Amino acid sequence: MTSEPDLREALLAAVPSLRAFAISLSGQVDRADDLVQDTLLRALSNLHRFERGTNLNAWLFTILRNLFHSEYRKRRREVEDPDGSYAGRLKVHPEQGSRLDFEDFRSALAQLPPDQREALLLVGASGFSYEEAAQICGCAVGTIKSRVNRARLRLASLLNVDDVEDLGPDSMTRAALQG
Amino acid sequence: MTGDKGNKLARVIPEGSLSDKLATNPKLDSTSQRRIGDQLRAMYDELMQQPVPDRFKELLDQLDKGSQDKAKNNGNDLEGAK
Repeated sequence: MTSEPDLREALLAAVPSLRAFAISLSGQVDRADDLVQDTLLRALSNLHRFERGTNLNAWLFTILRNLFHSEYRKRRREVEDPDGSYAGRLKVHPEQGSRLDFEDFRSALAQLPPDQREALLLVGASGFSYEEAAQICGCAVGTIKSRVNRARLRLASLLNVDDVEDLGPDSMTRAALQG
Repeated sequence: MTGDKGNKLARVIPEGSLSDKLATNPKLDSTSQRRIGDQLRAMYDELMQQPVPDRFKELLDQLDKGSQDKAKNNGNDLEGAK
């Protein structure tokens, strides 16, 4: 099997971006670190499936993203109102991994549907192309573009609640209904 | 950043000014998009700067020791990894 220092270094180098993605996606540092650990374990035991020369980060993000969603679906069955509980948890722990500066932003991010949140994080922060993000999420490129657009729009309205004249309830509702 | 709540962060380009297939969606102007993008990356960069917890270094040390058995045992459900 492969026990190369190179690979260890590559995986270790990927950890900060995996953590940043997991924390932003889940809103919880503890849960995010568990996700990253599970991702690394799964990657280690599936190394034979990884095609050398392809994008290791994209492969790792795919694993993490799938783990997050299977867990999310599980929780959704157990707990109703997952979005509300998510937002609530985030407000309780704004100090984890973030300065106060980002509290508003993180809380707005938490209110996005998970699909939109992950699309925005992949394209807007993690540095993936729309095509790579589509591969990671297993959907069409147009779907990613649409999710990113809706995510930005919703964030803008959430972060700008005092200035609603240009973005009234009608366009908000319309945007929401087009999910 | 948190101080400018009153600013025009979100101006929406009217429908019909877009020619792509998302034309029925309102779309942010480029200034608002950039400001959101800047905040997102600033938040993300801060997370990226955090030191890597020891648990991950220890986990990956298993790779150097060639002891992948533990990793295999812990990562049983292989099908989720594509």
